[in-house]
Amino acid sequence: MKLSFTSIYTTLHAVGLVNALWPVPRNLETGTSLLKLSPSFDIQFEAGSGWSPPQDLLDAISRTNYRLWNDKLGRLVVGRGEDDREGLESASSLSLLTLALDSHSQSTTTNDDGSSTSHSLLPISVEAVKDIGTRSEEYSLKVPADGSPAVIKANSSLGLLRGLTTFEQLWHWLPARDAGNADEGDARGVVYAYQAPVVIERDYPAFPYRGFMLDTARNFFPVDDIKRVLDTMSLVKMSVFHWHVVDSQSFPLTIPGFEELAQKGAYSSNEIYSSSDVQSIVKYAAERGIDVLMEIDIPGHTAVIANAYPEHIACPGATPWSQYANEPPAGQLRLASSATTNFTVSMLSSIAQTLPSTMFGTGGDEINTKCYQKDPNTQEDLKRSGATLEKALDSFTQSTHGALRQLGKKVVVWQEMALDHRVSLANDTIVTVWISSKHAAKVAKKGFRVVHAPSDYFYLDCGGGGWIGNSAGMNSWCDPFKSWQKAYTFDPLARLSSAEASLVLGGQQLLWAEQASPENLDPIVWPRAAVSAEIFWTGPRHPSGQFRTVAEALHRLHDVRFRMVQRGVRAIPLQPQWCALRPGQCDSGGLPSMVWGFVLQKLAKVIERYKLIVSLLTTKYSEHLGFNEP
Amino acid sequence: MKLSFTSIYTTLHAVGLVNALWPVPRNLETGTSLLKLSPSFDIQFEAGSGWSPPQDLLDAISRTKYRLWNDKLGRLVVGRGEDDREGLESASSLSLLTLTLDSYSHSKSTNDDDSVGSSTSRTILPISVEAVKDIGTRSEEYSLKVPANGGPAVIRANSSLGLLRGLTTFEQLWYWLPGDVDEGDAGGIVYAHQVPVTIEKDYPAFPYRGFMLDTARNFFPVDDIKRVLDTMSLVKMSVFHWHVVDSQSFPLTIPGFEELAKKGAYSRKEIYSSADVQGIVKYAAERGIDVLVEIDTPGHTAIIAKAYPEHIACPDAMPWSQYAHEPPAGQLRLASSATTNFTVSMLSSIAQTLPSTMFGTGGDEINENCYQKDPSTQEDLKRSGATLEKALDSFTQTTHGALRQLGKKVVVWQEMALNHRVSLANDTIIMVWKSSEHATEVAKKGFRIVHAPSDYFYLDCGGGEWFGNYPGTNSWCDPFKSWQKAYAFDPLARFSSAEASLVLGGQQLLWTEQASPENLDPIIWPRAAVSSEVFWTGPHHPSGQFRTVAEALHRLHDVRFRMVQRGVRAIPLQPQWCALRPGQCDSGGLPSTAWGFALKKLTKVIKRYKRIALSLTNNYLERIGYNEL
Repeated sequence: MKLSFTSIYTTLHAVGLVNALWPVPRNLETGTSLLKLSPSFDIQFEAGSGWSPPQDLLDAISRTNYRLWNDKLGRLVVGRGEDDREGLESASSLSLLTLALDSHSQSTTTNDDGSSTSHSLLPISVEAVKDIGTRSEEYSLKVPADGSPAVIKANSSLGLLRGLTTFEQLWHWLPARDAGNADEGDARGVVYAYQAPVVIERDYPAFPYRGFMLDTARNFFPVDDIKRVLDTMSLVKMSVFHWHVVDSQSFPLTIPGFEELAQKGAYSSNEIYSSSDVQSIVKYAAERGIDVLMEIDIPGHTAVIANAYPEHIACPGATPWSQYANEPPAGQLRLASSATTNFTVSMLSSIAQTLPSTMFGTGGDEINTKCYQKDPNTQEDLKRSGATLEKALDSFTQSTHGALRQLGKKVVVWQEMALDHRVSLANDTIVTVWISSKHAAKVAKKGFRVVHAPSDYFYLDCGGGGWIGNSAGMNSWCDPFKSWQKAYTFDPLARLSSAEASLVLGGQQLLWAEQASPENLDPIVWPRAAVSAEIFWTGPRHPSGQFRTVAEALHRLHDVRFRMVQRGVRAIPLQPQWCALRPGQCDSGGLPSMVWGFVLQKLAKVIERYKLIVSLLTTKYSEHLGFNEP
Repeated sequence: MKLSFTSIYTTLHAVGLVNALWPVPRNLETGTSLLKLSPSFDIQFEAGSGWSPPQDLLDAISRTKYRLWNDKLGRLVVGRGEDDREGLESASSLSLLTLTLDSYSHSKSTNDDDSVGSSTSRTILPISVEAVKDIGTRSEEYSLKVPANGGPAVIRANSSLGLLRGLTTFEQLWYWLPGDVDEGDAGGIVYAHQVPVTIEKDYPAFPYRGFMLDTARNFFPVDDIKRVLDTMSLVKMSVFHWHVVDSQSFPLTIPGFEELAKKGAYSRKEIYSSADVQGIVKYAAERGIDVLVEIDTPGHTAIIAKAYPEHIACPDAMPWSQYAHEPPAGQLRLASSATTNFTVSMLSSIAQTLPSTMFGTGGDEINENCYQKDPSTQEDLKRSGATLEKALDSFTQTTHGALRQLGKKVVVWQEMALNHRVSLANDTIIMVWKSSEHATEVAKKGFRIVHAPSDYFYLDCGGGEWFGNYPGTNSWCDPFKSWQKAYAFDPLARFSSAEASLVLGGQQLLWTEQASPENLDPIIWPRAAVSSEVFWTGPHHPSGQFRTVAEALHRLHDVRFRMVQRGVRAIPLQPQWCALRPGQCDSGGLPSTAWGFALKKLTKVIKRYKRIALSLTNNYLERIGYNEL
């Protein structure tokens, strides 16, 4: 492998000019022309196609139309686009964006009223919650430079939504020259793209699961905050909202038939998600291309259930808590009790059957053995059945997972269930790897599908100091802070064989909310959580063919961050504005270190590959000789 | 020294019950009774005193009255105060708070419009005048009594500023219990839960309790700054250090030098007009806060080149890391007499519009290479035959001299005192930022000190590196400075008692390379309130014990929740479950708390012995004729 330094240099500079799209499409060609958005701009369906657009696609189009005129994002260059003014006077105008369906497998389901004369297109909200891996998110986009109609083609309403999302990011704003008086409400200005023509041929995600996890139990987040998160996720084409809705500290979820759980377990009557709140969040998400994966963590992380059902919880509130749980308060479901198992099955089924997603999370992390050892009830149950705790966990798991599978759900669990316990899991179980990025390969070797959620790359809460009450000056357990740069260097296929690679569904960044609340939600999440959206959409390579690098990504991430701010999301700045307007000028060491970093990264990868091969060969050879694996 | 573990245990539990005041007063006695705020509650001046209250004190009273009814903060206990409902039915009501001036040395200087004739009523100096007096001469002391039987509460002080501090404490006593919804009661009750409250002579341990905001790396609109000032006032902070301009942008309008902002601000919307500055200074002073404006010179000035290229050496030189600590490179041509004159005029022009007796001239991170590569500076040096250090001395004397003529005490970063050979006036105030360990070096030189150490007080640390091409590197001052870390700061560590008198106080700081209005509140609050207690309360809790993180946590939760009620987006310190259950989210329970306490004490003793040993050694060496080590 020969590295051409000149070519790297050229590439890095060239890609700096690419449209500020996030995630960057897998194929992208751009020109250098300016193109205005016509005041009469409209978005239409291709005439004569004979299909009627679903309401949620029409709504998505309305949102796009609104944002094109209201994002009002100035270009991130010195002068904020002032230099474009002269060129814009003679630039062409775009009046029309056409949406076309390429080869839609039209639904034969009839309308509610029985009529079925026109072909109906499945709504986004139906496409978005199909089995993970079977969704069609692909689209193509062409924006000619001469003002003739732009086109988005896709195979589904969901693909059209992804195309609209990309289209929105092409446009910037320049206020009218005499709008010196913007303070006086002068809103006139030009909406324009600056790199027309734009051709995106078949952009589609490298991985179907591009998620974000929010914990709403350590501290509560109102519905509007969650919806703002969903809007921002949609802006970067994320596909799964993993909702860690309850935990030991509070139970803010209304479950039909189990209302006492929230009534007695929520922080207050104002801090509860009603059934209609849940349905509204699920619908809002699905209309934006996002599947809601709800998780009820069991059998650990359930202490607060004791407020309503004390008979089902072992070691509730036991102290010192650190001996009985990873966090206060202590308390776990009595997994060896058949009554508790039945209760758990009913509770999970009751909420799961109200949710359209084919995924449901049952947690399974951080089960504390000592809590059960000190619980007379559990010990009695185990004695009676003659089972070990692990055996009881297996039965509990099979019962709860079995019930969910009967409802058509794929079960999602934390890695301990696959790696640390002797429980039988169905082959289609999805395992979320959190303790370390290094554990993903172990899960894959067991044949389970993997979602990357490693604390060493993707935990957004790390680095804020310890939160345990009397830990003076301690750092967080997962220090340091996971910067966007750190997350961006995550390699989804590291240490995986190509067979194992096919088991990777994608990944997500996560916010555990011990030190988060609505007050800091936006800044702690954005724009960092958008980083994994690009990793799992674009894959390892930039459309230029080079590996993605932090140096190239920075300017595009600035752009999407400024766009978030324009949309009312309180995303943090990545650098002084001086730097944001001058790509590359706040790099340290200039070109050479950039190139060296690139070379080092490449070499490190080569070395890792050789290491892997050597260890594989060693294992094979040992097996040959009849030794056990080391 | 014998440590009694039982007494520590008792104390920790007892103080857990103390009113959730932040900063905790230096003297505090509380009872266990409930007291309602009467719907007719009013705040009045003691009758017959003959003093007419200044308008800004009347405004402060209005704000207090508003907040008493509108904070609507439920107690941080399980049930949020529901258990108080029954007791409140029979609780007394407070109808009156009286403000009294104890021994007011009323102003001899008359009002501006008063020079013609004598006035019959005595005037009290406004808060805004008291708050900008020379640091160390302000009277912030107050006493507060809230009887349990509904008899009038009283705040006594020697100045309007002291009354403001008392009102601030008074506000923090009150909680809210919503009306019983089942009974169809839409109203609610405002009440205190630990009356009687007696605070005898609460006053700050240190006069400088500050917060620094950098508005140059990223811009902050006036309203954001005012929200910061309101929150600072809530925890009795006294100085807003405004690092207003830097190399990246110049958002400050300076009369006669308007081009600086016109060409140096990020945009014309990101400029503080003269009216904005006056608005901020007035808003701050009315809330007991002095505004210390800093124009960092001669480094950190690259952006001046946009308007005055003739005054800047090495503008935008690349690679910037050889010419500056941060991009872009560029420094004032300190060896040029034209540039010195320009700098003097510019500093004087803005300084004379400000009421504070402090003004900051920076002086940190001066880059030699920039000057070595600047032909113009080299020529100036050659002509005068001076070294760069000598030129820096002249530049400093000239600029500082001009500010001193305007009645300003000059505030500089530590390098000016420790790393350069410049003569500084004795009353110069030095900010120690590089390391907490450098404070004693400054004190040994006899300068007054403001603690601003990056290893305790930098709020921006721990957010990852911000340079463009650094995959996965941490910030230069990692890790994140948690509130616990800041709280453990000891203002008098390693000081002799003579040196200790040079400590004016300290401040937490927000450099804004990675901050903007979007994350301003959460990155500051409640962390920046920590130093306000360190420097108001001093090392001891009113119980007599040293302050500890374990005791402080619940009170910090309380003031954080109050901030949120006032519209400040302060971060949560723990899950709400923990916030409502003091001590239950501590790790290891009592023993480790006590051990931590013992260790801290022992460490201090050991340090003291080390210091004594070292000074004895030095004495001995001096005696036998060796130089100090």
